[in-house]
Amino acid sequence: MTDLFPPFLLFVAGALVLPLIPNGHPRSLAAVIVPVISAYFIWMMPEGMHGQFLFMGQELTLLRVDKLSTVFGLVFCLAAFLALIYAWHVRDTIQQTTSLLYAGAAIGAVFAGDLISLFIFWEGTAIASVFLIWARRTEGAYSTGLRYLIVQVGSGVILLAGILLQYVDSGSMAFDAMTLGSPATWAIFLAFGVKCAFPLLHNWMPDAYPAATVTGTVILSAFTTKLAVYALARGFAGTEILIYIGAIMAIFPVFYAVIENDLRRVLTYSLNQQLGFMVVGIGVGTELALNGTVAHAFASILYQALLFMSIGAVLFRTGTAKASELGGLYKTMPLTMIFCVIGAASISSFPLFSGFVSKSLILSASVHEGHYIVWGILLFASAGAFIHSGIKVPFFAFFAQDSGLRPKEAPWNMLLAMGLTAFLCIAIGVYSDPLYALLPYEVVYVSYTTTHVVTQLQLLFFSALAFAMLMRTGIYPPALKSVNLDFDWSYRKLGPALIGAVRYVVRGIWGGLIGTGLRGVNWGFAALQRAHGADGLLARAWPTGQMVLWIAVLLGATLLLNYM
Amino acid sequence: MSKDMKIPETEPSNLPWLGRKLLWLDSIKNVDRIVYALFIVCAGLLAADFMYHKHSYLDIEDIPGFYAAYGFFMCAALVVCARALQVLLKRDEDYYAPKDVASEAYPEDQMNRETIND
Amino acid sequence: MSPELAITLTILLPASATVLLALMDKRPNLREAVSLITAGVLFFIVFGLFETVLDGARPAAHWFDVIPGLSLSFEIEPLGMLFGVVAAGLWIVTALYSIGYMRGNNEANQTRFYICFAIAISAAMGIAFAANMFTLFIFYEVLTLSTYPLVAHKETADARRGARTYLAILITTSIGFQLVAIIWTWVAAGTLDFEIGGILTDKIEPTLLPFLLALYAFGIGKAALMPFHRWLPAAMVAPTPVSALLHAVAVVKAGVFTMLKVGVYIFGIDLLSTTGAADWLMWLAAFSILAASIVAMTKDNLKARLAYSTISQLSYITLGMALATSLGVMGGAMHIAMHAMGKITLFMCAGAIYVATHKTEISDMDGLGRLMPFTYGAFFIGALSIIGLPPLGGAWSKWYLMLGAADTGQIAMMVVFMASSLLNIAYLLPVVARGFFMGNSVPMAHSLGAAAVHAKGMKAIREAPLWCVIPPCLTAFGCVLLFFYAGEIYTLIEPVAFPKGAAPS
Repeated sequence: MTDLFPPFLLFVAGALVLPLIPNGHPRSLAAVIVPVISAYFIWMMPEGMHGQFLFMGQELTLLRVDKLSTVFGLVFCLAAFLALIYAWHVRDTIQQTTSLLYAGAAIGAVFAGDLISLFIFWEGTAIASVFLIWARRTEGAYSTGLRYLIVQVGSGVILLAGILLQYVDSGSMAFDAMTLGSPATWAIFLAFGVKCAFPLLHNWMPDAYPAATVTGTVILSAFTTKLAVYALARGFAGTEILIYIGAIMAIFPVFYAVIENDLRRVLTYSLNQQLGFMVVGIGVGTELALNGTVAHAFASILYQALLFMSIGAVLFRTGTAKASELGGLYKTMPLTMIFCVIGAASISSFPLFSGFVSKSLILSASVHEGHYIVWGILLFASAGAFIHSGIKVPFFAFFAQDSGLRPKEAPWNMLLAMGLTAFLCIAIGVYSDPLYALLPYEVVYVSYTTTHVVTQLQLLFFSALAFAMLMRTGIYPPALKSVNLDFDWSYRKLGPALIGAVRYVVRGIWGGLIGTGLRGVNWGFAALQRAHGADGLLARAWPTGQMVLWIAVLLGATLLLNYM
Repeated sequence: MSKDMKIPETEPSNLPWLGRKLLWLDSIKNVDRIVYALFIVCAGLLAADFMYHKHSYLDIEDIPGFYAAYGFFMCAALVVCARALQVLLKRDEDYYAPKDVASEAYPEDQMNRETIND
Repeated sequence: MSPELAITLTILLPASATVLLALMDKRPNLREAVSLITAGVLFFIVFGLFETVLDGARPAAHWFDVIPGLSLSFEIEPLGMLFGVVAAGLWIVTALYSIGYMRGNNEANQTRFYICFAIAISAAMGIAFAANMFTLFIFYEVLTLSTYPLVAHKETADARRGARTYLAILITTSIGFQLVAIIWTWVAAGTLDFEIGGILTDKIEPTLLPFLLALYAFGIGKAALMPFHRWLPAAMVAPTPVSALLHAVAVVKAGVFTMLKVGVYIFGIDLLSTTGAADWLMWLAAFSILAASIVAMTKDNLKARLAYSTISQLSYITLGMALATSLGVMGGAMHIAMHAMGKITLFMCAGAIYVATHKTEISDMDGLGRLMPFTYGAFFIGALSIIGLPPLGGAWSKWYLMLGAADTGQIAMMVVFMASSLLNIAYLLPVVARGFFMGNSVPMAHSLGAAAVHAKGMKAIREAPLWCVIPPCLTAFGCVLLFFYAGEIYTLIEPVAFPKGAAPS
């Protein structure tokens, strides 16, 4: 059916075979091998449209291989590989298989050349990923997972509606660049926006990611949102509204990240914020900007995973990821601490770390195109990222006040995964050419100029200075056991309250109506009896048709009574 | 952790090698030293602004110490605003539901509470 | 075998099998063998007809004239063929399942059960292949009457009450509304034959069309259009194979099938679309979809929840017809098959859970998924198909229904379908999530420390009897197959949905 072997099938096959392999090192090894083979396949695929076949009257393209899809495919394989090493110790079959299916669906979606395949994989990521949340097996995770799934599938059905409208409009199912305007394109845009966690559509993420299992969050952090970034880059590059959406995305989660207590939720907000940078890049839409978006997606998958891994290791050893409960762990988990700091330095774009060579492309692109305010916002967002993820996360987890917790260092497989990821974060920061070579367009950009290095260091060190002084003066918000209201308040509190009110009113009205209706029917029957009693009209000879009609009426009335 | 909770004494010999090496961070004096070092680095970076030719796109970038000031004041403003927001947005952990991810414990069978004393 | 004979056989074969079944009363193994063999042979015959119809032939059989112009006769067209194949195919599965369920539960009066079951299938075949509304109506009533003893099977007060509601609503709506509509049609058009494009064009005042349609829509009580839906949850007192038959194979599908027939062959899609006679029906069906879903969420009894889910899903098909567009008919027709496959899976799983644990309330089912992984796996797949997610059959019917809504510019209806998908998740997947992830812990979450020792003392897999578990697994697999073979259904229905040959996709 296709000329090339689609890489997603490897993951599906892996997921099917996995339960048959003895649960232990062999199975973990098998899982880890799948993304390696898949990456090799992707690497070897020649550019062009492959895997085309006719299905349900439509030409489907399973493999659109170009630089954009390839780089996302590769980084997804890389992320799956690292996350599966990190999850080596997991023996829960459901998590093992759904991790592979989830990664496979994301990779399938990235290579989908038409909207039908995209939709199929889009929903695939939603279904497979929810198990990583449910696998926590608590009441809270169960409800969170359900909410997450409804939002994710919601994105899918909006996408479906958009695809169908698009098809009715244009007769085409091709997944190419689109221009916002028709309801169809808006629906598709919205569907991408939900998965990309646009402002006000973002709540599923801080809700769900901290609710997943230790390993689940690491896996979740890589795929869904980056898939959305890919889809936006493919479909809506250069759409101006994305610049502003991205700019808002880049700042508002900062505030939440600063006050949030659960460190995995802090990291989720910072992930949301990093997506803002990418969305701005897509909105700017120049070659430089798109290169920046892709490079940043690549780098951020790695450092975000690293940060989630390190805090996950803390959670695994101590049972909590809350800033208010942690502190002083550097003594007993020094390696985890160092990896966390490397991730923090990368997300803060310290020179020599991966964020530095990717984020700067987007900032430069925005300033080249004259978006000065957006540039200023992004600069602020960079400093903010440093405050909450660069300093706060490692500080509260590993330093700050000694919590008295003396956990053992993370298990070997976690250390190995973190070590590899940390190595990559530094490697990309020190020697960015291989990454640049993967980008969709040719890179004519030098990140390590004196100006750039000095200004970035100034920004960061003075931000650190501000943090130090605020911390010492006690102005910095303390870590409190609390949750912070976000937009999900609208559907977790306001919505149910409104529904409750409506239900109360409707029930009242309904009760009144039924009462009145019953009296009416009784009255009607009495009237019928009076008019057409046993020796009245019914006794006469009637034409059959009319007869049947009357029977019908009578039966209808009996039926009504039956209901009451 | 509440402030009055007794922190168990830990034998340094129980710590991993790297942890022992980092123990100097435990002393307040050394933390102060780090902050002083930060002051010096910041001063140095500010001075650096006068020592090379800045390649800039915007006039505002040419102001000496622009990035430093931007970073410092924006972060200060961010933290102050966030603190105000915290007052406004803070709720108990079981605000949404009695059994919420925020308030329930991470299941014991999915983690491994080994300590260095084990 | 000539097509005439084949058609007659499909109706008479299950009917005559009842005699054998009655004779085998004391020999359960032989009795079940008869039931299975009849189902197999029936499916073989129907599948032969399927091939014929797929090639464009329209086999017909004439039994006799009641009065001149009004005959008991059959002609197989694509919609009926689809319904026939679905009913015959799923009868085999249900027959297998009945063995596991009825024996596993030690039910009484099993012979009566199998006899009524066979009659019901015979009636379903009659409905599927009917050449005119009169024939369809006769078999429609036979179906109602033959399933009454099935609903009342347990003979408890509850069962009798449920069965009474079942019978009362179905009989009263069919005679009170449907029969009136049929007579009206007969008087107006002079014929009751099913013809593509309808028989009512220029025969009836356009302003009266909505009223005639209303008589049909409410008269076809088996389609469970609100407010005539109460019989369906009431019938939940029946044993689960009956519920599977009612909700997936014969009864409700007969209802929506009749609905489609009326829309396509009595009114004609063009007439409905030019006069807008079905607009109100579209909105009512949309209301049914959403309201039934919301009610389903409040039900803790698994079968009751599935019953309301059925009400909601049936209205998909009614809505597809009421859209009055080719793609809507295509989607509606496909949904007959897709929903049948998905819902029968869910019901058989619910039955398997009941046989194994005697639990009926969802809140009591925490952690059962771990004990019954196959049942719950099948349930999960069935649920995903009902929700309409790829790669399962339900995705395609939803695809075409939404495409039909998009085609007519009914954005509101698209939103209804979208919302319905999400509501489906909210009431179907909790069963799966609670089954797999709540109530007890995983035998061994990971390999370190105490968790690794935890594996000892965990309950092992404890599934229902084999013949309660295999059939739902088969139909779950069927849901997957339907995703990849939906093209066959498309080709089959194409001449009906696109009579002018203008098929866009």
